[in-house]
Amino acid sequence: MKTKKLMSILVLIVIIAFAWGTYNIALKDFRLTDTNYTYLGGLTWYHSASGLNKGLQDAQKENKPVLMYFWAVWCQYCAEFDANTLGNPQVKNILQSDYVLVAMDLDVDKDVANTYRVSYPPYVIFMDPKGNVLERVTGYVGPDSFLPMVKQIRDKVRSK
Amino acid sequence: MITFGDAILYLSILVSLVALAGLVLKETKSNSPLTRLASPAVFAAAGLLAFDFLLLAYYFVTSDFSLDYVWSYSSRDLPLIYKISGTWAGQQGTYLLWVLVIFLSAAWLAQTTKHATALARRTQIVTVLIGIYFIILTLVQSPFKSILERPDVVSLIAKGTLPPNFVPAEGNGLNTLLVNFWMIIHPPLMFIGYAAVTIPFAAAIVYLLTKDEGWEELSRQWARFAWLFLGLGIAVGGVWAYLVLGWGGFWSWDPVETASFVPWLTLTGFLHAAALHRKNKTTFSIAAPLLAAVSFVLVLYAAIVVRSGLFNSVHAFGETSTGTLLLGSIVITSIVSVVLGMKRYLGEPENVEEDWGLWSKRNIFYLSLLLFVILAFISFWGITFPAFIQLTQNVKVNVASDTKNFFNVWSYPFTIILLLALGFCLNFKESEKEKQKQTLFVVIAITVLTMFARTQNFYVLDHTSPFFVREPAIYKLIGSISLLSIFPPLIYVGASIIQRLADHLRSKSIRPRIKGIGLAMVHISVVLIIFGAVVSSTLDTKIDGINIPLDAKGQVVDVGDGYGIKVVDYSTGSLTEASTTAIGDVLANPSSFEGKSLKISGTVTNVSSMQGHGTLAELTDSSGSMWVFLGNENASMDTTLTVTGSLLPGFEQPVLDVTGMESSAQENYNVQSVKLEVYQNGNKIGSGTAEYLEGKGGSGTFPMVQSSITGTEVYVIFQGLGGSIISQGTIAKTNDIYVPLTLQIKPAIDFVWLGIALLAIGIILIMAMKTRAKD
Repeated sequence: MKTKKLMSILVLIVIIAFAWGTYNIALKDFRLTDTNYTYLGGLTWYHSASGLNKGLQDAQKENKPVLMYFWAVWCQYCAEFDANTLGNPQVKNILQSDYVLVAMDLDVDKDVANTYRVSYPPYVIFMDPKGNVLERVTGYVGPDSFLPMVKQIRDKVRSK
Repeated sequence: MITFGDAILYLSILVSLVALAGLVLKETKSNSPLTRLASPAVFAAAGLLAFDFLLLAYYFVTSDFSLDYVWSYSSRDLPLIYKISGTWAGQQGTYLLWVLVIFLSAAWLAQTTKHATALARRTQIVTVLIGIYFIILTLVQSPFKSILERPDVVSLIAKGTLPPNFVPAEGNGLNTLLVNFWMIIHPPLMFIGYAAVTIPFAAAIVYLLTKDEGWEELSRQWARFAWLFLGLGIAVGGVWAYLVLGWGGFWSWDPVETASFVPWLTLTGFLHAAALHRKNKTTFSIAAPLLAAVSFVLVLYAAIVVRSGLFNSVHAFGETSTGTLLLGSIVITSIVSVVLGMKRYLGEPENVEEDWGLWSKRNIFYLSLLLFVILAFISFWGITFPAFIQLTQNVKVNVASDTKNFFNVWSYPFTIILLLALGFCLNFKESEKEKQKQTLFVVIAITVLTMFARTQNFYVLDHTSPFFVREPAIYKLIGSISLLSIFPPLIYVGASIIQRLADHLRSKSIRPRIKGIGLAMVHISVVLIIFGAVVSSTLDTKIDGINIPLDAKGQVVDVGDGYGIKVVDYSTGSLTEASTTAIGDVLANPSSFEGKSLKISGTVTNVSSMQGHGTLAELTDSSGSMWVFLGNENASMDTTLTVTGSLLPGFEQPVLDVTGMESSAQENYNVQSVKLEVYQNGNKIGSGTAEYLEGKGGSGTFPMVQSSITGTEVYVIFQGLGGSIISQGTIAKTNDIYVPLTLQIKPAIDFVWLGIALLAIGIILIMAMKTRAKD
């Protein structure tokens, strides 16, 4: 009985130490919140449903396409997409100057995701200034495929 | 408005209350006629729910879009099998399936026990109570809700835009990602597994409360059954992620996968606890029932994460929703389990058991149970605390720089210890204890030594990943353990399994032999799955961003690392191909289509307005072009149009009189496929077809997967030619069209599939050889 009890107590201590430790490491090292979501590829984003409305207003004023990006904190491919594709200097330049950017956290902005029928991240929706969906990019894509798309959609919206 | 389906749900509540009353009266030794109604009432409730489920399936097959749920998850153009699988495509339908399986197991319990013992009756009371709770849950978000109750429909009817008895002509359609074989079977496996945990939970609660004997006898088969279905459900989900999502792997520690894995781990713990508890009732007399109870609570937790997401459920707490009801039930069942467990523990006379010391079978076994709990907790915690922080502090945090690193780093050391304990326990003999201890120490020594081996990037964490440098020191430390250290424990376990199997096969009668084979299969599958998972995820080759010009069709194009890919053919089609006719066919023989309804699809290449008489448009597809008369509708150039109608008589060229139109081809299920051949250093290593399915607001990739004798798989994802390129009709100029591909070479992944198969067969063998408690 003693050995068993000892083992139980030991495991309980291990679990509590693990929980406490990882919780604090995450809060200290892996905090993601800033108001503009700049941790997504170093860009400035509108976010959540209200952000989408603001974004569409901006888009109409400036006749820019809207890029809506559905992501999630735990999504590994989003992290790669942020680093490789959005972070690609050429892509980043075009997105910064010619696009209105809106980001949706798939765990939080579930209603928006349901409206646009997005079920998994990463998922990018391109829209014209009126909010019509022009193109959907599902899953991870590299900068080689993403760059031409970004250019093409920008030119299409501008020409109208 | 109460629909027919809902009425049956209400009726089944009533019938279950009769069963409940009968069972409770029997407890009080009453002679009321109600007591004789208990079993029939349970059967009746199960029958009603089965009927209700079939009714829902019938609504799907007949495309009855007067129901919101049918409208949301189906459409007329779907093949029959996907109409049927729409029944369980969404939350509402899966809860109906869940409650059905709970009552089917209750019926089975009634049939096999005849409610003869107090234990059976009491277990049935808990089961029926849970069943009623789930019927209410199903009613809250009923799959039978009328489309007229949708808020958007209500407001449109109020405005007069829609008629008050509105029924949509076409459904919303099934998400493209769900249109495949794996998603037909994945939800039923999962939810049957969830539901099957009910009886082990009920029996465990009754045991904790009353000390009724025989509870594990009652729950063991159910626990195995649940374990099998949950395991297969998780595995099929992984296969789906591998084959459809194109994640390139079968496991990525996302919350949905992980949440289902947690109860499976505790259930594994329970099966092991029950195995020893069965032989000696004082062994694990609290651990075993608690593990069964915890598994049930974690199943509820998984249901929340899978169906509505943790954050959303907690955030919306207080609203009448299934999320709230599930959270409520988690709170209740946790409190009941903990309180009863504590009560039993404090009530247990101290020191009835002698201290066996660490080096005894039951204490090493107990260590394994604790390790299952630790592993389950790591997974649970990893998906829970970020949601907790978001809710309480409105701060987004990740668990590590790269999510999977958290789970891999923490699970790895405990998996090693668990494997060592497994190897020791599997073959434990009291008489050879000292020798076996020595062997274990040698294995431990080798394992620890191999942890320090420095090889080229074969560590717990990928050292070349950009995320690695951002991980904290402790993650880097554990992440630098060499993966070579997994092999000594795996070999040790493998050897123990063989020795154990040899013992079993020496047995005189057939049943222990078969059971021994089953046990060996289940445990060897653990070795195979871990081996396959470790090797395939670390020694894989991945080349992404491959763009092969469509012009280079038929040539081998070098893609780097000595690999080459040849695009043999490219073609497009539709899942519902039969429904549209190629324009060329109509032009070739217009008379054969006269007087028939016809559906064609193409790009608008010309629009002509006939003053006051409507619009004509010219549609062009790959086989030709023809004019269609749109009446008062309009069409814009370069858009894709799908129209139905019949040919107008009296024209020299065929002209279609349009009676119905769909605005865009995107709304259909379109398949693009490429036939590929893959070469390595000039030798062909694989060939096959990779597909890309698009439509109904989503898309799915169906990679080319070819396995080889060594267990390596060649895996190519085709991301599809961009939708805009095709819809603009520029497909004729192939020189600037590229076929986007990702190539992966996955060594040893076939061992995972083999392991899963053995796991399933093994547990089925064990279940078939059910032995009595006194055997």
